[in-house]
Amino acid sequence: MTKKFIGKRIKRNEDPQLLTGQAQFVDDVEIPGMLHAAFLRSDYAHARLLSIDVSNARQRPGVVAVFTAEDMGDDWQPGPPLVSPPPTAKDVIFYSRRQVPLVKDKVRHAGEAIAVVIAESRYIAEDAVEDILVELEPLQAVVDLEKAMEVGSPLVHDDLESNLAAHLFQNKGDYEEAKSKADLVIKRRIVLDRGAAAAMENRGIVAHWEEKSQHLTIWDTTQAPIPIRNGTAARLGLSEHQVRVIAPFIGGGFGPKMMMFYAEELVIPWASKKLSRPIKWIEDRRENFYATTQERGQIHDVEIALSKDGHILGLKDVFLHDTGAYDPYGLTIPLNTQCHAMGGYDVKNFATEVSVVFTNKTLVTPVRGAGRPQGIFIIERLLDIASKELGIDRVEIRKRNLIPLDAFPYEHKIIDQAFAPLILDSGNYWPVMEKALEMIGYDKFIKDEQPRLRKEGKYVGIGFAPFIESTGVGPYEGARVTVEASGKISVATGIGTQGQGHFTSFAQIVAEQLGVEVDDVRIVTGDTTEFHWGTGTFASRGAVVAGNAIHAASTIVRKKILELASKVLETPVDELELEDGLARVADIPNKSISLGELAILANPLRGAVEPGTEPGLEATAYFGPKYGATAFGTHAMILEVDPETMMIKIKRYVTVEDCGTVLNPLILEGQIHGGVSMGIGNAYYEQLHFNENGQLLNASFADYLIPSATEMPRIEVGHIETRSSLNELGTKGVGEAGTIPVPALFAQAIENALYNQELEILEMPLSPNRLFELLSEEKSR
Amino acid sequence: MQNLFDLALTVNGIRYEHTVEPRTLLSDFLRHDLGLTGTHVGCEHGVCGACTVLLDGQPVRSCLLFAIQTHGHEVTTIEGLGTIDNLSPIQEAFQDAHGLQCGFCTPGILTTVKSFLEQNPNPSEDEIREAVSGNLCRCTGYQHIVDAVKLAAEKMRA
Amino acid sequence: MKIEGEYTFDGPREDVWELVRDPEVLATCLPGTQSLHLVGENEYEGEVNVHIGPIAGVFSGRLLVSNEVPPESCTLTGEGKGKPGFVNGTGNVQLFEQGDNKTLMTYAGEVQIGGRLASVGQRMIDTVSKSMIRQGLGTLNDAIKARVVARTEAKEVEYIPPSETEFAAAVAKDVAGGLLSSKLLPWLVVAVIAVILVIVWLNVR
Repeated sequence: MTKKFIGKRIKRNEDPQLLTGQAQFVDDVEIPGMLHAAFLRSDYAHARLLSIDVSNARQRPGVVAVFTAEDMGDDWQPGPPLVSPPPTAKDVIFYSRRQVPLVKDKVRHAGEAIAVVIAESRYIAEDAVEDILVELEPLQAVVDLEKAMEVGSPLVHDDLESNLAAHLFQNKGDYEEAKSKADLVIKRRIVLDRGAAAAMENRGIVAHWEEKSQHLTIWDTTQAPIPIRNGTAARLGLSEHQVRVIAPFIGGGFGPKMMMFYAEELVIPWASKKLSRPIKWIEDRRENFYATTQERGQIHDVEIALSKDGHILGLKDVFLHDTGAYDPYGLTIPLNTQCHAMGGYDVKNFATEVSVVFTNKTLVTPVRGAGRPQGIFIIERLLDIASKELGIDRVEIRKRNLIPLDAFPYEHKIIDQAFAPLILDSGNYWPVMEKALEMIGYDKFIKDEQPRLRKEGKYVGIGFAPFIESTGVGPYEGARVTVEASGKISVATGIGTQGQGHFTSFAQIVAEQLGVEVDDVRIVTGDTTEFHWGTGTFASRGAVVAGNAIHAASTIVRKKILELASKVLETPVDELELEDGLARVADIPNKSISLGELAILANPLRGAVEPGTEPGLEATAYFGPKYGATAFGTHAMILEVDPETMMIKIKRYVTVEDCGTVLNPLILEGQIHGGVSMGIGNAYYEQLHFNENGQLLNASFADYLIPSATEMPRIEVGHIETRSSLNELGTKGVGEAGTIPVPALFAQAIENALYNQELEILEMPLSPNRLFELLSEEKSR
Repeated sequence: MQNLFDLALTVNGIRYEHTVEPRTLLSDFLRHDLGLTGTHVGCEHGVCGACTVLLDGQPVRSCLLFAIQTHGHEVTTIEGLGTIDNLSPIQEAFQDAHGLQCGFCTPGILTTVKSFLEQNPNPSEDEIREAVSGNLCRCTGYQHIVDAVKLAAEKMRA
Repeated sequence: MKIEGEYTFDGPREDVWELVRDPEVLATCLPGTQSLHLVGENEYEGEVNVHIGPIAGVFSGRLLVSNEVPPESCTLTGEGKGKPGFVNGTGNVQLFEQGDNKTLMTYAGEVQIGGRLASVGQRMIDTVSKSMIRQGLGTLNDAIKARVVARTEAKEVEYIPPSETEFAAAVAKDVAGGLLSSKLLPWLVVAVIAVILVIVWLNVR
């Protein structure tokens, strides 16, 4: 009987290295003769580049080179489009404008790179940056989304007629018809603003072009090493096998490290090839705030049509989406918003229209949640308002609208971020919601505790927010599983790591199939020499897609092992089992052979390998899901608001998650805790403040407040498992789940806490200041 | 020509003598001059705590110190806490309790916790949260970190 | 950001006006000014060493005086840029005789700040700019008083402008005073350390 590893709380294989400071991150790479880069960045958000004079910089001792756009000559090319507009959607307007290596004509956001200095040390490089004389003619910055769309607004891209980057209209059913039959129509304007991913490790890249071997090695803090390899090879006119990209340990990604071909990724490898020297560039924190991608700015005009018993007849959402200065990532985020604006509810009529707008701000690409929190915020707010206006309990109104069990797979007919029609594959929604409410003691709190606390003059509120999460999208991932002569298993897969425990959860999958211990499985990720087919770790897909590829490869290796062992032990396959690193006969335990010995036998030194077979015990397999699996969850929270300072104290926080089969509950909890902490940051502490000139006013951790240990509550994690039918393991993703419902949850809980105010929260992020302002505005009305 | 400084200090029990520029940060000196890359740099403005090392046993932000300020002093970095084959109780506890994910903030947390537990061997949850409130973590939400510190305290009391 | 305020000088309006238009005097009012020249009838060019919290560096820029109604009022338009970022602004200055050899100056204007100064200096800018203005006007006032005394006593003008060190220390003191009233202790430490380091560096130079 093979031991079960899937579902076990197994300690992580990668921890000893990380805990002793022996894990390699990009900035740890040291190569003899390595040079260091520093970038001159624009202070202005929108400006014409008149002239650059780098002569002083070039003369500084220790400076090896200074490059501008002009110096790059024909090699100066904007980055490649990363995500095209959905070919499956109708009437899409899309103007593709991608980020540039170095500014050539115009600066389009503060922090855009204008020139790069390559010097013997970072210190000298930064000194030399100040020697560069640059003349910029400031232009009026485009910052506000609505002003950006007005006629006569300055243009971010002069070759376009307006700041419209894209437009997409999606339709399910007939909203206008539904509206005509409605007993209640609610209209609101909802405004959401930007936050940063703020991973603890800033970005970095080391590029080493070796002229003698005509080979380029790149270490990059990327969530997608394979596309970086392929794109870099293409741009530099190299064969893909001349380029090796290594994504070593990454100190958190959260999305922006999935953005590919940042300016620095376009420039540094090129510079290394030009100089035939290894070059390192490491971002500093301020650069991270300006030059690493961000997300969440949207303005929505929403409408919901309901019957008087609270059934949603239809939903309409017209919104503007801020894409920043360029739009390499296509429509991924707004598509996610569109696909999550119906939540997990049975909505038969939905009209949604997005206009993507260029602004003179940092690029927008997915940050954990990737447009989903915005969608969930909309539907949950509208249901809260409907609940008040119709006099229906807020739990009840949701229960009436949740997609019932027998309706799965549920087709929404609009296109999702993977360009496929949105289908919610499986789920059992009401029990998840019910469990969350039970865990937090919802009924008892509302009936007994809250009235008591209110009498004491305390402002304590309870909130809950159900949500769906699209996960596990394709295209595919692959893996190679090999039994080594030592009996240990080595596995290679293309996706990298952001810290989510791939080295362990993937090992568990293999260990269960092959009957070895988890720490006898060595996983290699993120090295294109080891495995070069795949996409990356993002969109809550790692465990689902790579996990299933690993599973598939493991089952093939298992079969090979059993077939070979069957020959060697002269016993039929179905009487054999794999356990403790051995293949053995089930009823005669000492008739066995170790996997290592089998591996040696499978790689004969004498005799031929039979035609149609391969040497060794190895298999490579790929997995691409038909469509993404949809997970469901509910968060609930009790919080207290101090009416004078508007500071909050979260008393209890509960999450219930249904992400299908759980590979490692310890790691799952960690993902949820981390996601919730980012969600809490998004909701109440973090906001990127750009002023009307496109200047970011809080580009440091002193002013951009991410939650610390004293802001975070204990999170109680509950679980329900509804296996996904879309893959063999039955898993769904969960990486972003923690962030998705939190803004909606905060809005509801705070309104509930401040029960004697007529407060309607239609924006995120909030903050103590902002809450105070909203209440003052309310009072003066 | 810059004024160089002959720096002599002890790091993890080993004495080093290096000539450095006065403006070299301690974090850069440890990471690039000594090759001790376990200490990580998260912000370079003293807020995130990833660069925390112990200076004569007290936690300090190595990104806010010049290397020359440690002349004649003892510095302890994460490499001085334990090795892969010989994890300290704190490191073991962090693995057992899943107190890390990407591991980038971890060195700063471990050095902070080492000093904290020496002064408060039996801390409450609130005391633990307060003690690590100067170490930002974006991955874990802190819960397993707190659990790990509790577990470490138990291990060390045993 | 808006800048507005008023200051009472111990001297007649004509003296105030004259000294305000004298680049040598102006240069001393803002220690850190490395150069200030009159390059046109109403235009100055110059370089100023700026220290605001952790941000330090040289700004080079231009100042234009317009709408002159001597000795009553004028408009100042300036733009400067450098490593710390950029600053653009316009302000209106008005002078009113107060009798008893006193002049009231009122000023009101808008300043736009960008670059490093804006992104990490936000919480310092308000306090520090107010302090710098107050210190600067105080120095100008000393110059005016010295001139009045000299005229009265028919002596040479005795006026020693403050050194950069003294100026920086005075600003740091203001900033510390301002900051202690808010929960910005870490920034206080950083600011004071930075200013002290500047003082040390200036003295070593």
